[in-house]
Amino acid sequence: MNKTLEFLWHVPFGDFSLRLDPLSVLFLTAIFILVLCAGIYGVGYMRSYQGGKSLGLHIFFYILLALALIVVVTANNVILFLGAWEVLAISVYFLIVFQDEKPSVRRAAFLYLIAAHCGTFCLFLMFFLMAHAAGSMNFDVMAQTNFSPVIAGTIFFLALLGFGVKAGIFPMHIWLPYAHPAAPSHVSALLSGVAIKTGIYGICRILWIIGVLPDWCGYVLLILGIVSGVMGVLYALGQHELKKLLAYHSIENIGIIVLGLGIGLLGRNHQMPFLAVLGFGGALLHVFNHSVFKGLLFLGAGAVIQKTHTGEMDHLGGLAKTMPLVSGLFLIGALAICGLPLLNGFISEFIIFFGLFHGLLGLPLQGAVLCALGILSLALMGALALACFTKVYGTVFLGEPRRPTLPTEMPIKTSPWMIVPMVILAGLCLWVGLNPQPMAGLALGGGKYLIHAAPLSVIDLSEIFIPLSVVVSCTFILILLMAFLAVARWALLRSRPRPISETWNCGFSHVTPRFQYTSSSFARPITDFVKALLLLNRHGGKVSGEFPGKMQISSSVHDASEERMFRPVFLGLTRFSKKLEETRIRYTQIYLMYIFFFLIFLLAWKLK
Amino acid sequence: MIMILSILCHWLIVLLLAPFFIGVIAKVKAFFSGKVGPSVFQPFFDLIKLFNKGAVYSKTTTWIFRAAPMVLLASVLILSLEIPLGVFKAPVQFSGDIFFLAYLLALARFFMIAAALDTGFSMEGMGASREAFFSCLSELALFMNFITLALLAHSLSLSHMIGADIPMSWSHVGPALLLIVASFFIVLLTENYRIPIDDPDTHLELTMIHEVMVLDHSGVDLAYVSYASAIKFLIFSGILVPIIIPFRTGDLVMDMLIFLGGMLGLAVCVGIVESSMARLRLNRVRNFLLIAFALAFFGFIVTMWRG
Amino acid sequence: MTTWIDASCIFIVFLSLGILATYRIVGIIKIFAAQSFVLGLVLIFLHAHNLSTRDIVISLGTMGLKGVLVPYILFWAIRHVSMRSEIKPVIGFGTSIVSGALLIAGAFWISLSLKLPGKPVSDLILPCSLATVLLGFMIMVTRTRAVTQVLGYLIMENGIFLFALSLFDVMPAMIELGILLDIFVAVFIMAIIVNNINEEFEQAPASVSRSKMGETF
Repeated sequence: MNKTLEFLWHVPFGDFSLRLDPLSVLFLTAIFILVLCAGIYGVGYMRSYQGGKSLGLHIFFYILLALALIVVVTANNVILFLGAWEVLAISVYFLIVFQDEKPSVRRAAFLYLIAAHCGTFCLFLMFFLMAHAAGSMNFDVMAQTNFSPVIAGTIFFLALLGFGVKAGIFPMHIWLPYAHPAAPSHVSALLSGVAIKTGIYGICRILWIIGVLPDWCGYVLLILGIVSGVMGVLYALGQHELKKLLAYHSIENIGIIVLGLGIGLLGRNHQMPFLAVLGFGGALLHVFNHSVFKGLLFLGAGAVIQKTHTGEMDHLGGLAKTMPLVSGLFLIGALAICGLPLLNGFISEFIIFFGLFHGLLGLPLQGAVLCALGILSLALMGALALACFTKVYGTVFLGEPRRPTLPTEMPIKTSPWMIVPMVILAGLCLWVGLNPQPMAGLALGGGKYLIHAAPLSVIDLSEIFIPLSVVVSCTFILILLMAFLAVARWALLRSRPRPISETWNCGFSHVTPRFQYTSSSFARPITDFVKALLLLNRHGGKVSGEFPGKMQISSSVHDASEERMFRPVFLGLTRFSKKLEETRIRYTQIYLMYIFFFLIFLLAWKLK
Repeated sequence: MIMILSILCHWLIVLLLAPFFIGVIAKVKAFFSGKVGPSVFQPFFDLIKLFNKGAVYSKTTTWIFRAAPMVLLASVLILSLEIPLGVFKAPVQFSGDIFFLAYLLALARFFMIAAALDTGFSMEGMGASREAFFSCLSELALFMNFITLALLAHSLSLSHMIGADIPMSWSHVGPALLLIVASFFIVLLTENYRIPIDDPDTHLELTMIHEVMVLDHSGVDLAYVSYASAIKFLIFSGILVPIIIPFRTGDLVMDMLIFLGGMLGLAVCVGIVESSMARLRLNRVRNFLLIAFALAFFGFIVTMWRG
Repeated sequence: MTTWIDASCIFIVFLSLGILATYRIVGIIKIFAAQSFVLGLVLIFLHAHNLSTRDIVISLGTMGLKGVLVPYILFWAIRHVSMRSEIKPVIGFGTSIVSGALLIAGAFWISLSLKLPGKPVSDLILPCSLATVLLGFMIMVTRTRAVTQVLGYLIMENGIFLFALSLFDVMPAMIELGILLDIFVAVFIMAIIVNNINEEFEQAPASVSRSKMGETF
């Protein structure tokens, strides 16, 4: 499945060649689905801004973003890739900054732009190294080259930095939790669903180009995946804002994907093709799955925010009664992201788990121990994601509205423009969950492609497909059983009294909706448990005396990588540049003189 | 066709056996507090009574609240198919069924927590929050045990992991298996909401986890939930008992009797633990669960060391 | 016999882990006593094939001194200062359990590269003794009460004792007993010091533990 498309393009070293291989096909599938769904949704979602703002620019950049995404994952040439990469960065910037009247939005978009360019800087260095070693700017030529271990290691490291920023791998993720909430919801869906996946695509592409990587690369990927996954979901638990929470969950899922890639790389390095296919394939399938369910969740969050005008979970509640359709669709997304059976998240996590266990049984000691760690962290991520999404679903959609300002009685109408894409995405979640063969086949094919296996090579995938098919049939039995139990319940209750009353509240009187557990109190046991990691801040809440007055409690979670890593570094940089400013030279001529000298130096160097 | 029959037979056995062991625990507890106690078949009578009752629903609740007990019971019934019951082999066994087991439990948990939050009352929220937290830790310990067992059996299928290789493992890495048994016992107590983690008998106290979550369920729904709890106990002891028994006779009747005796013994053990211990203070439960994890981890190290 | 030695070694490490999770000082002392008993048993298991009077004397000496007398003195010491539970440790109980588990892994990892002269009876003795030493050390580092620190020291000593068992087939009995007596005297002196310190500062720890009680829920 390798098709190349060439156009004439007069750019030095550039070559307008697009190439379609199993890797790009998989990413393209996700991109097409999500761009379409989010686009349709945007039509309904942006209606509320009509009149106030010109939408033309927004639509222009949306289409530009879609084109850039497509070119990024199909480009076969470094210059073309980097060009599309820049267009992608710029168009995302303009999409994020849509509500530019808010200072926080401008700040978030600016942060994104800086982060994106820091990443691009590493990419320039990396591609320069690669092109130098390979003697060509085309990816398929590069893939034929043998890189020396040092060069390969350096390239891998730079790729991790450059693409890691885009993907939001843990210590480099700081732009992500700001940018996602700032953007309009369909843009956040696109950002989280596919834009950050271009980072993953980049890493995959490097893994494909460099066939032999040093051993440590696999371990680094595995550890990065573990850290990113666990920290992402822990930070998500500490959030109060719906879209920020979802943004942190993107970091978690990127962690799962990187974990899968790490297993794949370990398998490739240790000549265990089946393990490699499981790791790569699981990661690629999770790329697709995550873009579907995360898109669904962001669109659902957008529907909620559009009607309630707030994303603060502790102000919401009881929306399942007023927005039944949205709440049902959001539930599907939530179940999928927790990796529960019935839905697509389970399939990819199952494949990655399977790979990890194979690594545990087959790899040498360090690899086996890391695989055990991976299994544990994946299990922990699953349990924490469950805690996190029960928290989201419970506080936003269930119970009673926590604020009287929320719409209560009548069902709120959500525009069909917004419902239909969500239904499509939810349907895809179910389709992959109940019929995993096609998508898993595609993803595992991508995995095979990444280990440079010939299309008809002997890797026997039935070892993974048979368990998957049993899982699916068990899931169908589960559905049947639930239906049977529902019928039994209906039959048993039909002739019996079914009074409707208040919730039994243990004898308390004057219970108000504010008695309900909030999202922060729900997550408190866990956030307290890891408060050192989360830099948790809590103020107030101490009650004293027999008749305590009004009390206030506030808690916030601070990102460790932002507070402990980047802020000190950037403060130092600012201080340093202040110092430089004091010593600056005030005459333009002197600058010109520097440039002049530099030119002469260059000439002398080249003419030598 | 044979498949369907064997599944139905398995379910029949599970449905008949499960409440019995709950009755045994209650009997043991009664014995230790110097009472006669209800008959061991009392859980059956309770279930029948509940099935014949109407149900009260809060006007706050939505369909989630009504669906949760069904999801719970259906999930544990599917799970029970993965558990071999003595000579009755598990009808469903495949490579990787342990993840399916853990994630089906998670599915049920998701719905039960959501149902508790659906009632919109703080105490149920409290129970739900604790359940979410403790399950994180017990899941860690559970997976650590699975890792060690998978290493020992070189297989990813539960039936193999607790199957024929266990006697050999006992002679080879006996101490590690001891640690696993201890750790898994704690997981069993946690997942079944037993003392010292949770008190299954008190219904109106701030310190509870599971009982407060189902405070608002009644009638058929409550029956589903209680039945599911009983089956869950059967599932977990069905995993633990074959690990504990260090030999297989090969004789069908003998093996079945030994298995049933083991199950009975485990239920008695749980009863004794319940009668002799007090419930832990809540902020210490997590340490208890971490100990379970540390034990399993230790077992893993010893296995790697010997392996 | 190897199975029994294995099991006892594992049990000794398990008990040290248990101390990391125990709040009450009484509980910690009891666990220590149990550990010393098991240690005495290991000695008997090791020489089970030809048990000499000397082995029995040392074993009984260990059990008697460390399993009965030292705990008794410590009980006496804490009863006099009415000290019940550990005040806030340097790192939390949860963290210390997890780091304890990691330390065990570390001990096994170190033992991988430690080559002993001669073949020990059980390959678990060495890593387990190392793990016990490390855990004892950790208790000393992370706990704030003097008594607990003494106990950490004693657990460390138990680990060293186990290590010595694996190293030397024949250790002069007098030396062993001498070490035991040294420890006994050390504990005795420490108990007295602890007693005196707490009489001097009786108010301070009490008030600290009071405020801790209030915020635990």
